[in-house]
Amino acid sequence: MKMKVKGKHAILSLVLLTFGFLIAFSYQHTKTLLFDDQINAEDWEKTFYYRQQLIQFEENNHKLQQEIDQVRLNLLQLENEMAEQLDYMSETVTEKLALQALTGELPIQGTGVFVSLRDHEFVPSKAKIDDYIVHDRHIQMVINELIVAGAEALAINGQRIFSDSHIVCIGPVISVDGNQYPAPFVIEAIGDSETLKESLELSNGIIDLLVNEQIEVEIGKKNQIKMNAKMS
Amino acid sequence: MWVPFLFLLIGVGLGLLTDFSIPELYSNYLSIAILAAMDTLFGGIRAHLEKKFNQQIFISGFFFNISLAVVLTFIGQQLGVDLYLAAIFAFGLRLFKNISIIRRYIFRLPNKK
Repeated sequence: MKMKVKGKHAILSLVLLTFGFLIAFSYQHTKTLLFDDQINAEDWEKTFYYRQQLIQFEENNHKLQQEIDQVRLNLLQLENEMAEQLDYMSETVTEKLALQALTGELPIQGTGVFVSLRDHEFVPSKAKIDDYIVHDRHIQMVINELIVAGAEALAINGQRIFSDSHIVCIGPVISVDGNQYPAPFVIEAIGDSETLKESLELSNGIIDLLVNEQIEVEIGKKNQIKMNAKMS
Repeated sequence: MWVPFLFLLIGVGLGLLTDFSIPELYSNYLSIAILAAMDTLFGGIRAHLEKKFNQQIFISGFFFNISLAVVLTFIGQQLGVDLYLAAIFAFGLRLFKNISIIRRYIFRLPNKK
């Protein structure tokens, strides 16, 4: 009887143990679930907040990206404009260099002709010496003729002649812009050598005139004439 | 007589101290198992009061009911049918019936019939 009671108690104990365990475990489990839910709610709020922030950041990024694109486009346009301006400037600079060469601010070189004027060596004793030497007007005539014929640059004995140059006779020498040169005078002209030479050699042209005035004239083409820049 | 209650306390303590958690998916099983256990316990008390208590029936009923409830729930979840409701219904009904009979015994109320 006692054993039986004890056995009964043992079984009851076992059952109650299991029952208690189940109840307690379930209780704890439910509590954790509730806690988890709370955490989840908090998490959700946080997630929502961060997501909102992310969206804002992305929008910002998008805006900034658009700005960058716009700026890049502007930059590209500017670069293109600059390239065009550079082209234009290089053209202009080339033109300016050519013009400078023409006006004498830069050295110039090219094909052309030279005319050498020389006093007549034989002067009859009765004759006036003035009739046999080269005068400034001869040189001016040659120069005018050359300019009219299209010479781009002129020089007398290596000195450039410009639009404002003056040539005067000082006794046996002539002065070009203040520098004196004795005979013979070599006038060089850069330009189309063929045209220049032909215009000088026209019948009743300048050469004939000079020869008639007892001046020894020598004329010829040159492939390469160099002139220095104006000295100032 | 106090030994079973000691064990009950030990069980509760163990349950509280157990630190592993089961997925939410299986919480159904737990509640069903508890329901089954309660049903069997009250059934045992009732049998005891009616002097019809049988250890074998009690112990086998306790574990078998729990297992059956869990299996039923499992099948129900596999099939997508809430079969555990059937278990809850059956166990709940029996629980109330048992408790009412126990009440009559305790308060010495006259039985029906």
